[in-house]
Amino acid sequence: MAELKLQHLDKIYDNNVQAVYDFNLDVADGELIVLVGPSGCGKSTTLRMVAGLEDISSGHLIIDGKDITTMPPKDRDIAMVFQNYALYAHMTVYENMAFSLVLRKENKNVIHEKVLAAAEILGLTDQLNKKPAQLSGGQHQRVAMGRAIVRTPKVFLFDEPLSNLDAKLRGATRREILLLHKRLKATMLYVTHDQTEALTLADRIVCMSMGHVQQIGTPLELYDTPNNLFVASFIGLPPMNFIEGKVEDGSFKSEHISFELNGEQKQLLSAYNGKEVVVGVRPENIIKGSTCAMKVTLNENLGQTTLVHGNVGGQKLTAKFREWCDYENGDEVGIAFDRIHFFDKESTEAIR
Amino acid sequence: MDEKTIRKDRMRYTKNTTSSSFALLAILFNVFYFVSIYRSDVGSYYYTWLTGASIIYNLVFMLVVFLCSEGVKLYNFNYSVTMIIVGALQIVRIFIIPRKAATTILQVGEEERAAMLAPQHVRVICFLLISSAFLIVGGIIGIIKGETLRAYQKSLENKAA
Repeated sequence: MAELKLQHLDKIYDNNVQAVYDFNLDVADGELIVLVGPSGCGKSTTLRMVAGLEDISSGHLIIDGKDITTMPPKDRDIAMVFQNYALYAHMTVYENMAFSLVLRKENKNVIHEKVLAAAEILGLTDQLNKKPAQLSGGQHQRVAMGRAIVRTPKVFLFDEPLSNLDAKLRGATRREILLLHKRLKATMLYVTHDQTEALTLADRIVCMSMGHVQQIGTPLELYDTPNNLFVASFIGLPPMNFIEGKVEDGSFKSEHISFELNGEQKQLLSAYNGKEVVVGVRPENIIKGSTCAMKVTLNENLGQTTLVHGNVGGQKLTAKFREWCDYENGDEVGIAFDRIHFFDKESTEAIR
Repeated sequence: MDEKTIRKDRMRYTKNTTSSSFALLAILFNVFYFVSIYRSDVGSYYYTWLTGASIIYNLVFMLVVFLCSEGVKLYNFNYSVTMIIVGALQIVRIFIIPRKAATTILQVGEEERAAMLAPQHVRVICFLLISSAFLIVGGIIGIIKGETLRAYQKSLENKAA
């Protein structure tokens, strides 16, 4: 396994469209990094640059101290697992997993031992003689991972590997990837647009938007202390509620919601008196209280929790109560905010 | 696992491509025979009812050997034996059309000449011999590998029991 450094990576296509801007990341040995962001944010392009499938316009890519920026993909010692599995339909699982080693002309007995060991890890021993058409979606993905494992590469790359699976299988395969990472202690880069995958799998998350890195941090850091409005809105399900307003004389005042700031908040916003800010409140941080009254528009019971959608005046809010609720449309619920994030409206940066 | 055991274990997941390739090569050399036998260096040819039978046999041969090439991939005993039998029949074929053509005298213009001259005769015999060798060797390899695999699988079953 290896350390990976991405230094000032840029990707500019021939038509002058820039897909990635100044991407910097140090990945420690054995770390699982998840690149997350909406479609078109540059995460897959970054991964493909690491794999060597896209040229790097500028910057450096370093593995274990060796600059591999211009090295051809086959020499990089990197294995990639694709969203569509890319299995050979006419080959058995065994042959699919052994294929890359056969191309390298490795000893057949060594190949056999490596394939059996990978199959054992992935629970595919009984499927080795089957062809891809006889396997389920989850098994397809495990074969694709097996093909990467047998190569014992320095870095594993996963490009949205669970996107083609149904929700139940996605959860199971996600847990398998996590267990695999713990077992192999491999350096992994994982691309997804699914924040649940990012939060559950990652040692660190890189959140991207429009080709720019928005924040790099642990899942808790991104959830708890988002750098800006984008990260705050992207991480967390359901997404954070945002209320635009002004700070005036120790209070936050918006068109529909106003509340007194506590001492800590007053200190934090001391430079913003009279200025516009955005208040962010996660649905789980809305509790029953007396700050304002929310008129219910939709009640969604999820078992242990209930999502209550409503509005305060014209301000739409979603609350996540840790109990079973049976609100009807039009019911009024008194709410308060347990924890609040503040953002500068102009720069969209978090106020800390 | 020692190397010998790994080699046996590998057969559980890999195909017998050696025998299969030999079968395909046998077809190839039979095609060489096939295209060589129906022409004559002397500009004429000796046609009998055997010619039609030979054409039909060639078609059946190619079908059977192709099926064998697929069957032996999976270490099937019966297909291996079939390959050996068909290989033996290729030797027998040397004594049918090639021999008869080489010993038949035809009137070519004013001259009397053998229907098949020595160079062509040797060539077609070589093609049949090579084709036969591939089939017999491929069949024997198929039987040996198949039996080895069956014995290994039995030992694994005994171990598991």
